[in-house]
Amino acid sequence: MLRFTFERALGMIVTMFFVSIMVFFIMEIPPGDYADRYAFRKYSGTGVNVTEADIQAIRRELGLDKGMIFRYFDWIGGIVLRGDFGQAFAFETSVVKVIGDKAWLTLGILFSTLLITYIVSIPVGIYAAVRRGSAADYGLTIFSYLGLALPNFLLALILLYFANKYFDADIGGLFSPRYADAPWSLGKFWDLITHLWLPAFVLAWSAVAYQIQTVRATMSDELNKLSVTAARARGVPEAKLLIKYPARLAINPVVSTIGFDVNRIFSELPIVAVVLGLTELGELLLRAYLDLDMYVAGAILLLLTAMIVIMNFVSDLLLAWLDPRIKLGA
Amino acid sequence: MDTLLSVENLSVSFKTDEGVITPVQGVSFTVARGKTLGLVGESGSGKSVSTKALMRLLPGSATIAPEAKMHYLDKHDKLIEIEKLKGKGAPIRALRGGEIGMIFQEPMASFSPVYTIGNQMIEAIRLHKKLGKREARAHAIEMLDKVGISNPQARVDQYPHEMSGGMRQRAMIALALSAGPALLIADEPTTALDVTIQAQVLELMSDLQKDLGMGMIFITHDLGVIAQIADEVAVMYLGTIVERGPTRDVIHNPAHPYTVGLLEAIPSLDRLDERLKPVPGDIPSPNERPQGCPFQTRCQHVVDGLCNQTAPLETPLAAGHSVRCWLHDEKGKSAA
Repeated sequence: MLRFTFERALGMIVTMFFVSIMVFFIMEIPPGDYADRYAFRKYSGTGVNVTEADIQAIRRELGLDKGMIFRYFDWIGGIVLRGDFGQAFAFETSVVKVIGDKAWLTLGILFSTLLITYIVSIPVGIYAAVRRGSAADYGLTIFSYLGLALPNFLLALILLYFANKYFDADIGGLFSPRYADAPWSLGKFWDLITHLWLPAFVLAWSAVAYQIQTVRATMSDELNKLSVTAARARGVPEAKLLIKYPARLAINPVVSTIGFDVNRIFSELPIVAVVLGLTELGELLLRAYLDLDMYVAGAILLLLTAMIVIMNFVSDLLLAWLDPRIKLGA
Repeated sequence: MDTLLSVENLSVSFKTDEGVITPVQGVSFTVARGKTLGLVGESGSGKSVSTKALMRLLPGSATIAPEAKMHYLDKHDKLIEIEKLKGKGAPIRALRGGEIGMIFQEPMASFSPVYTIGNQMIEAIRLHKKLGKREARAHAIEMLDKVGISNPQARVDQYPHEMSGGMRQRAMIALALSAGPALLIADEPTTALDVTIQAQVLELMSDLQKDLGMGMIFITHDLGVIAQIADEVAVMYLGTIVERGPTRDVIHNPAHPYTVGLLEAIPSLDRLDERLKPVPGDIPSPNERPQGCPFQTRCQHVVDGLCNQTAPLETPLAAGHSVRCWLHDEKGKSAA
């Protein structure tokens, strides 16, 4: 297991290296750079004539005049060695300051979404498989199709409407007004939790529907296995039997797609965030692209992909733990 | 004779999309303590379903007919009426594994692939014997040693996929026996194995049985195997026992045309240049049960107007040997 973990961790580092190169060069593709944008913004409408030399000066000042390869190593070196993600030009401060809180909130939404997804879908899927053909099973299937058919942002709007109309609740954003700018405290944390469940619920909605069907299908297969009958014939109590034998293998496809779930959550988050008025990374990423604020965009892309790569690593380890046959192939 | 298990009039029906089928009809047999009953028949003859009914392992679509009696005398000489037990709960769980052990045809599929052999053995031991983890582990190692697995201390921590087929079947036997059952149901335990390993496993099972004084129900489609292991044999066809009796008697003086057919179908080295004689035709599906004697569609001695009208009753032939066939009945003899 130790060797397996080490190999996968190594693979993760190599992947991240290539990802960082790709991210950096993608950031270079758009024509022009922040120097152009800066000059345009500062002098447009003032009647000042901006020469190429002025732009070059700005470029030098921002450190954008050096070669691409040099800047890549400067950038990645800063991240790895000092946790310094570079300058956020448009904000005139460091990227870490701009991203900081938003990154933590995005991660908070991500993990609460994953948690809700798995806590709901795994037991419900198992239940549906065990009670296959019952009214509860059919009910859950109908719910699943509904879940798959309804777009997230629509669900978010509906929930906002009802929460506002009937409960008079303020659920937009991630904090109540009185905590919004307050320093972190227990009260603020609790306030965050009470706001976090809604975006997490909205984002988990379709994944829950999908994963219930996955677990139900694999669990139904596993329940018919001879090993389950054999364990029952040894007198293993039913609840323990279900968890120990079929369920452990039935959650396999769910565990192996954790990475996909993370990816999907990141892609769906921006639109849900807009509807619910959240401040998270997706929206910032879009703005950074428009401004050619490359280090902000790069840092966000790198963080999101790092999260996906890390969750894939976790999924690999969990799979190996769930099914010891996997390690043989390594 | 000391009866361990007696089954009377067992019928099992299933609800299917094509209607209700009854793969087991009015089956009766007994198993004596320390003796082996062989259940023989083709696939679909109801052998496995009958034993699954004994363990109450049938799926929800199955019903056991209310007149069935399955009486089992447990280790404390207490009579257990299996047909009256609830399908769930402590009494039936104590019976499963602890009183009646079961081994299956596919050793690979009957182990869970994600737990070690030891894990599954220790679980079974601790369910039925009041042992601590360490003692249970020692007992598991002892059982693995008993079934002839070399280096049991290391094997106990192996996964099923790390063992060979014969070894896995030995481990499966060790697993079933580790909880100390008084009756072992072996459902075609040697069918999936190579012939040489088959012989080893058979010998092992018969040694263990003598050693532990267990009763055994040995299910197979191979009368040759039965000759080696069983004291009594019951031949099943389409859910009914058509002939039963002491093994030697049945093999040397088969009475039912089906038993005769099965014996002739066994390949033999003495008759190399003869063609094998298969039993003609196929076993009918349970939802197309023929009227009268179930075997009449394939029987060469069928008596028109009798065999295809009424099912024969059980006719005693010799001590403990009986057959369900009109040819051995007074009425049938006169008609033929």
